[in-house]
This record gives sequence, structure tokens and C-alpha cells, in this order.
Amino acid sequence: MTQVTRSSRWRVWHRWLSLIFGVQMVLWSISGAYMVFFDLDYIHGDHLVQEITQPIPASTSVATIGEVLNAHPHTQSVTLESLWYDGRQQAVYKLTGHNGEQLINATTLAPISFDEADIEALATRYYALPEPKVESVVYLTDNPPTELNPALLPIWQVNFDDFGSTSLYLSESTGEMLVKRHTFWRGFDIFWMIHIMDYDERVDIETWWLQAFIFGTFILMITGAVLLVYTISFKRKPKGGAA
Amino acid sequence: MRFMQWLHRWVSLILIIQVVLWLISATVFSIMGHHGMSGHQYMRHIHPEMLADESPQWSIQQVRATHPQADTILLTNVLGHPQYQVNVSGKWLYLDGHTGQPWQTDVNLAQALALASYDGPGQIAEVEQVTGAAEVVDWSAAGYRVQFADDLNTRVYVDAASGQIVEHRNTPWTIADWAFRLHFMDYSGERSFNHLLIWSAGLFALWFSLSGLMLLIRNISQGDFNPRRKPTWLEQLQRDEKPIASSCGGGGTCGLCKVTFTNNDVPTPTAAEKVMLSEAELTAGLRLACQHKVQAKDAVELANENVASHLLTLQNKRDLTPSIAELTFTSASRLDYQAGQFLQFKIPHESTVLERHYSLATVPNADNELVFTVRHMPAPKSGVPAGVGSSFLCRLQPGEHVEAIGPFGDFLLTKASSRQQVFIGGGAGIAPLRALVQAEQQSTTPRPAMFFYGARNSAELCYTEELEQNPHVTYVPVLSAVSEKERWTGQTGFVHEVAEAWLREQDAQQVDVYVCGPPLMLEATMKMLAELGVPRDHIKFDDFGI
Repeated sequence: MTQVTRSSRWRVWHRWLSLIFGVQMVLWSISGAYMVFFDLDYIHGDHLVQEITQPIPASTSVATIGEVLNAHPHTQSVTLESLWYDGRQQAVYKLTGHNGEQLINATTLAPISFDEADIEALATRYYALPEPKVESVVYLTDNPPTELNPALLPIWQVNFDDFGSTSLYLSESTGEMLVKRHTFWRGFDIFWMIHIMDYDERVDIETWWLQAFIFGTFILMITGAVLLVYTISFKRKPKGGAA
Repeated sequence: MRFMQWLHRWVSLILIIQVVLWLISATVFSIMGHHGMSGHQYMRHIHPEMLADESPQWSIQQVRATHPQADTILLTNVLGHPQYQVNVSGKWLYLDGHTGQPWQTDVNLAQALALASYDGPGQIAEVEQVTGAAEVVDWSAAGYRVQFADDLNTRVYVDAASGQIVEHRNTPWTIADWAFRLHFMDYSGERSFNHLLIWSAGLFALWFSLSGLMLLIRNISQGDFNPRRKPTWLEQLQRDEKPIASSCGGGGTCGLCKVTFTNNDVPTPTAAEKVMLSEAELTAGLRLACQHKVQAKDAVELANENVASHLLTLQNKRDLTPSIAELTFTSASRLDYQAGQFLQFKIPHESTVLERHYSLATVPNADNELVFTVRHMPAPKSGVPAGVGSSFLCRLQPGEHVEAIGPFGDFLLTKASSRQQVFIGGGAGIAPLRALVQAEQQSTTPRPAMFFYGARNSAELCYTEELEQNPHVTYVPVLSAVSEKERWTGQTGFVHEVAEAWLREQDAQQVDVYVCGPPLMLEATMKMLAELGVPRDHIKFDDFGI
């Protein structure tokens, strides 16, 4: 004549499952909440940077496409724009071919390369917040930080001393700002890692342990739902009531 | 901690469906992977031709002259045909590299582009001119939808103004898109996870999981996960197959597993006990069996010593009113109970056994007859089954058996007080009240009693004669939905209102009140008594005898 023990058994299962899967459920909700509460554009750092190209004055004459292609025949696309280097805004051609990108002076066709001062000046112009304060400019060739895709090496890293510890990454060949990072992006990245449970590369969403935890959490939820049916009461439990 | 438990339970009720949706969509993501969800299974990148193969006839100087405000001018080619892309203040324009006129994409070019971007096994099945597409959320321009006949039902969207491939879509993409809608709770298809709905769900999920974590930590610190830990008294008593009631299974939320500690140092009451037990019960050594582990020094007694399992046999069945039947059982074994107590009936239902509580409707009698009143629970609407317990009992034929455990309950007469007795009841709540009234009548010095009983119409009144003829009781039936042809001359309205009018004339300190009836009546009556200032420990009520 065992009395109501069914709910006890569900409760034991619920507790043991929560010991393993409930903890991940906590991590999922914390990381999920972080990701939904911060605006994605803010996480991307769109507020940190601005467009720096400007219309080229009509008085500036540039070489013809024919002249460009004569000098660089293996070119798939040519971009004419203006860029700040050597202390002024100058017209440049950016060439794209099988060998990557290359920047040349649009008038003289002379190749352009950047030194630390050029990169710092460019980064300061990209930077959209008031009073840019550059903390350091680093030329990265190997051992990239985790926030940077290694395929982009070599690259210039410009670190700002600001609220979000902003880092801008500028292309070595074109001076173009390719990547922007700040504290909240870095936080998002860590929470994303926690959310998908790929603690290594932070990209793989197909791991067996992620699937196992999803399944286990599902079982945990079922035991919880059963307990809910047993225990939830719409009646207020009166203090010391009769019966 | 009880707040945590409450929070955990109610938030989960709201959230559980979304949590399951999160899990299902996460399963879809994890099984498909980034590539499987992209729609790009049969997509390949189109590499532009060398510009030197076909130089533009329209020079970049001419582009500058016609678009002096251009921030960027890009020269590329579309399948070999030169094209200028001009950015003016953030807006892109596309020009034919030979003519300088706006770029045109005709059906043939769209097909050629789609084919160049496709490396699957299918052929083009259909090309359709479209303006935007529901499944390409941020594209609303004119273009083409190129349908391929392949296993994935690939669709390629080509933008007419630029001659660019906008997107590849296919069946796995559509499945993944639904998973994204469920996961992000964004049914607009924009895959945004920054909006009010998911913010609220995120907050709920945080409360839910953090309250769960705190309960888990409490369980760990209580040693609930230690396989060698001592069982709680509830577990021990259940293991020993002692008759102890529990409906929450040890959560400290139902208050049914009361026991009395008989040793001198009774354990300190837990938070759950402070809520579920009265001050008097705590002082008397009553505790909840689920809240304390078995200790060698402790000894407990079941709060109901006489509790046992009984096999009842139906002797007689009669209808008291159109909705209330009276069932009379006998028990194979002796059953000693007090007026106001109830039995827990074991109702076989499908493959399980359900427990239902019914109060005894008489004082114990010499023949050991057990009388109950059962309200036919009509089906709330057609297609929904009627009440399981009452249907079973009302179908029972004389001579048939049912198992019941008991007696339980402390809905008993107060002792040794000379106060005015007041009974307030409604519906099948008549049963324990009638038993109490009978018990009072049998006592050596019956106290004066008022009995207010509420029903809808006079056909629903029962035991009227018995109550009216009882010299110690003033019986006041109150009808709430009386019709004119009944010629009712008694009280009308709600029973608690009539009782209130009478109670106002009394000294609120000098009454003992017993309440039993349907939930709404019970609630209204309790509120009324509180307002009148009737002391809480002068009020007894039973919410099971319905």
C-alpha cells in the first residue's frame, strides 16, 4: 500500500538531471540573455567607426584604366577612391587580382605602402568616437589574438585607450579597416563559445556533446513538466489549514 | 527558498513551451551545421574575368565627370562584360562599362549568372521575374528567381540593377529558417534577436535557471545527492509502506505528510513548515515528514494513528438532490474516525490509480456504516469527461468494492470552548458539517449552533428535515438562484452574505466557525470572516469535501 510516490521518483530524476544538465541550462540562459540584450550592431562596433573615403576633387587627374592595366595586367577589379596618407587625402587605385590586393597612387601609379605613422593616422580617421587616444600600434605577423581570424595576417593592430578597449585592424596592403573589436564584442564571443559549447575554435555547432546536452536538457524539462502537473496549485495554501 | 521554489515553478509554467522550442531548434541547428543551413550547398563563387580581356569603352574619367560626388568608383566585370559600380553618399549605382548607361540584366544574363554560381546536379527549370522575395528579407529590388530542378529545390535570386547573385535558397535553408524563427522568437523572418519578446523570454529564462540553480545548491548542501545520506521521514515511512499522504512528493509544498515528533527535542521548523503548519501544530510537535531526515534519536508518530487501508463495500445508494448522491459503505475492518474527517479513495482510472478525498457525512455509528455525499461532476463541456472520481463512485453498484485509506484530517469540533458554533457550507460541503453537527448534538452539553447552507434552488437542499428538527441548531438555508414558482420564503443571496449579516450582530471573539464548500464560496467566506475580525484559530475549514 504505497502512497503517492510517483512524484517523489520524478523529483529524484529532476534533481540528478539538473546536476548535470541544469548547470548548462544556467550557462545557456546567461549567455543567451547577454546576446539578446546587447544590440547586435553595437556588438559589431558599428558605432566605433565611420566612412573615411571622400569624393576626389575634379581637379585631381587620375591615370586611365588602360594605363593601370598596362602596368598591372592581371587585375580583376579596380577601385578608385581617396585615402589619407603622407599627411593628405590622396586619390588611389586599389587593384584586386589573383595575388590579392594592392594599392597604388591613382595619378602616378606608384605603389603605396604604410608605416606605423600612416596606419595610426588612418585608424584615428576611422575612429568615430570623440577624442581618439591611440594606445599602441602593433604589426602582427604571427600568433594572432583569438579575436582575429589568422587568415588575415599580417595585419596592423591599433589599440585605443577608451571605454571598450577598442582595437581596429587595418590591412597591411590597402590600409583598409578590416576588423573592429571592443570589450562587448569580446564578451559576446565568450558567451557564444559557452552557448555552442565549442571551447576551442568557437565555431563548431555540431559536436556530439552539444547534442547530448540538448537531449539531456530535454529529458530534464520533461521531468520538470511532470512535477509541475503534480505540484502546481491555483489554490492559495492557507496557513495551518484543516484536512 | 520557498520563494525560489514558487518562482521556479510559476516561471517554468510560462516558459516551458519556449524552452522546448529552443531545444528543438537547437537540435536542428546542431544537426544541420552552418553549411547545411546556409542554402549554399550548390553555390560557387563567380571569379571575375581579367579586366585586360575586355577593357571598358566608357572611361573612368567619364564616370567621374558624370558622378562628381562619387566616393568610390569600382570597375569590375559581370561574366566578362565590364561594369562600373559607383558609390554616391552610401548608395550604389551600376553602369554598363561600355556605354555608361545604367546596367541591364535580361533573362538570358540572369540565367547565365545563376548557372555560373551553381555547381549542383540540376538544370534550370524556370526563370521568373520578381520584385524582392519573402525569403530574402533585405532585398526588395527588381530581379529574377531562377529555379533549379535538383534534390534540394535550389532557387537562385539575381539582382537586375547590379547583375549580382543575391542569394541561393533551398529546402534545408527553409527548415533552418523556421528553426531560427523559433529560436529567436522572431516570426518576421529577419532573424533578429534584439526585440522585446525575446528580451522578456531571456529575463524569464534567467530567473528560471538561476532559481533552479539556487534550489540545486540547497539540495547539494542538504546532502540530497549523497547516495549514503539518511532518508527523510517521508521516504522512510513510504518505504515502510506506512499510510502517509503526500501529493508533492517531498517538496514541502502540499503539507499532507504531517507527523508528530514524540521525543523531547523536536527539530526546528523549516521555512516550509512555518507556512504549512499552524502555530499550535508546531508547538504540539507536528512537523512535515519530508523536511527532516531520519535520526536515531528521533521518533515520530503518524499524525493519524488510526490510518489504515480499508476495503469498502457499497451497501446503499440514493440521490439526495439531482446533483448529490449519498453512498453508504461498510468496511471489512474496523474504522474509527471522528466527525469531520475524510477518507482518501483509490479510484482506478485507465492504467493508474487516482486519489480522491471524501468526507464522512455522519458521526461514527454502531453498525460501522460509512456515509459519503458525492456530487456528480458534470462534464464542463461536451467531449470532456466528467469528474473521474465521482463518475466512478456513482457507477458503483451495491456489493461492489473500493479501496480507501484513512481517516485523515483535523476538521474537527473545537474542544472545551463554550463559544457559539457557526457552520457555513455549500454544495457537497454538507457532508463533514452534518457530521460535526451530529457530533455536537451527541455531546453532553451541546453548544448553540447556527448552520448556514447555500444552494442554488430548493431542489438542491438536502438533510433539511434532520437539520430543522435538531433542537440545538438553527438551520438557515440560503438560495442564490431561486425561481418564482418555488415560492421560497427563506433567505436568498449568497450564503456568506447572509452569514455575515448575522455575524455582525455577534461578538466576533465568541464564535467558532466551520467552513466547507466550493472554492469560490470558501474564499469569499474566509475573506468575510477576516474582515469581521474572527480570530484565525477560531476558524476551521475543509477544502477537500467538495
